[in-house]
Amino acid sequence: MAFTDLFDVLITGILRGGIYALMALGLALVFGVMNISNFAHGEFYMIGAYVAFFAIKAFGLDPIPAIVVAGLAGFVMGIVIEKGIFYSLRRRSKEEWVMNTFLVTVGLSFIIQNMAFILWGATYRGTDAYWKGTIQITPGMGVSVDRVVSFLIAIVTMAAFWLFLRRTQTGRAIRAVSQEERGATLVGINLNNIHTLTFALSCMLAGVAGGSLLSITQAYPAMGAKPLLASWLVVIMVGLGNVSGSIIGGLIVGVLEAASYYFLGAGWQNVVSLIVLILILLFKPSGLLGTEVKGVLER
Amino acid sequence: MLEVKNLQAGYDYLQVLWDVSIHVSQGEFVALLGPNGAGKTTILRTIAGVITPMAGKVRLNGESIGGLSAHQIHRKGLSFVPEDLNLFAGMTVHENLLLGAYGIRDKNKVKESLDLVLSLFPRLAERRNQLAGTLSGGERKMLGVARGLMSGPSLLLVDEPSLGLAPLLVMSVLEALQELNRNGVTILLVEQNVNMTLHLTDRSYVLEQGRIALEGTSAALLENEHVQEAYLALGE
Repeated sequence: MAFTDLFDVLITGILRGGIYALMALGLALVFGVMNISNFAHGEFYMIGAYVAFFAIKAFGLDPIPAIVVAGLAGFVMGIVIEKGIFYSLRRRSKEEWVMNTFLVTVGLSFIIQNMAFILWGATYRGTDAYWKGTIQITPGMGVSVDRVVSFLIAIVTMAAFWLFLRRTQTGRAIRAVSQEERGATLVGINLNNIHTLTFALSCMLAGVAGGSLLSITQAYPAMGAKPLLASWLVVIMVGLGNVSGSIIGGLIVGVLEAASYYFLGAGWQNVVSLIVLILILLFKPSGLLGTEVKGVLER
Repeated sequence: MLEVKNLQAGYDYLQVLWDVSIHVSQGEFVALLGPNGAGKTTILRTIAGVITPMAGKVRLNGESIGGLSAHQIHRKGLSFVPEDLNLFAGMTVHENLLLGAYGIRDKNKVKESLDLVLSLFPRLAERRNQLAGTLSGGERKMLGVARGLMSGPSLLLVDEPSLGLAPLLVMSVLEALQELNRNGVTILLVEQNVNMTLHLTDRSYVLEQGRIALEGTSAALLENEHVQEAYLALGE
């Protein structure tokens, strides 16, 4: 096979992986800070897509503002769910926290999906290309502008988020809570506020992801399953709770999927990803970049 | 400044402290001494809000703080440096220090505190960009105390800073605390190292089996027969 084919596969994979990385970042963050395995993460992606759809169709917003609104909607929903469910659960459940929250998120996923179904029905709701046209990357391959822009949005969002975590006092507090809860309270950090903020930010990232892919993947109630699976692959692959690793992992999963499309045909991408995942877990159970995971064993 | 009255505290159904009353005045350097398991750490934890008192009063600067959570008590001007320090191991020394000043919005104030603690512990200035988890035992203690000082607390609680340190380092850590006290920081210290502590502090309490057994000026306690017998003659 030609070298350019490999290059095409790589580019396709990386473009695809940007959004996985964005999703996985939120997942890793919530796991690292709150010890919650969020299986409702895909639902915030779905909500982001719907919100972007209505923002564009009903309110005539441009793509970028619509994506911002999708992110904000995720953020607000995150606050409501954290305050309404996880906050009260945290006050009651000291033991079995990981298992309890896992079950709660699975339940949430069903509820949100079915609410979307009741509200908006099973119709696919999409929009025309945000930005028309394709970009010719190599003579043999053109990529739609939307793909490239959604990748750029993912990169810019992650970069901004990384700076937020490194450079601001609130970002540092989030990292502090993920590393050492007791120490965080002893320097005056209110855990409840940080938990709520973390969950909301995670949902915001998923909302942005859903919104920015609307022209490529149409909105429908069960659309969250695929990105959820992909981002879980990422998170497990690089190591649970590893925030910066999720970016690399997202790109790896994207490239793996693109390669399996190309070499094996559609439908094989999950098989390939899962085989790679099993191999990684066999030889390096903490994940590729994984270090110790906080508190899973104690709680 | 700090007033603890008839405090009862413990863990779940296990009561550790029975009717403990202590007080610390502005500018004092006070020590809590006693054998392992006497409840010294429990007193500090209860004052700092890590555990909730079962009964009794805890007042800081005249304000009741019993039952508040740890982060609320910290904001009232009390810093607790626990025995295991609870440092943010995956962050740099600099970031740990910045987090010590978490509640403080005024950038100049943070800068001032930073300069102050780095001049107190020049070693930390050298290690500024190193991850806290890679520091040596002595440096970790320094960082723990320095982080506690970053918020400019009116009262500093320090739990066994000498634990696990080589004798020479023990001296330097305790002397650093004495220096801090001379600079106006009120300190309540828990220590196992009775002899050294009694020579450095103003006043001390001796805790035995969850109750205050003795109290007085450290100079007087050095002469006390029980202290000499139980802690100095055999203990050292």
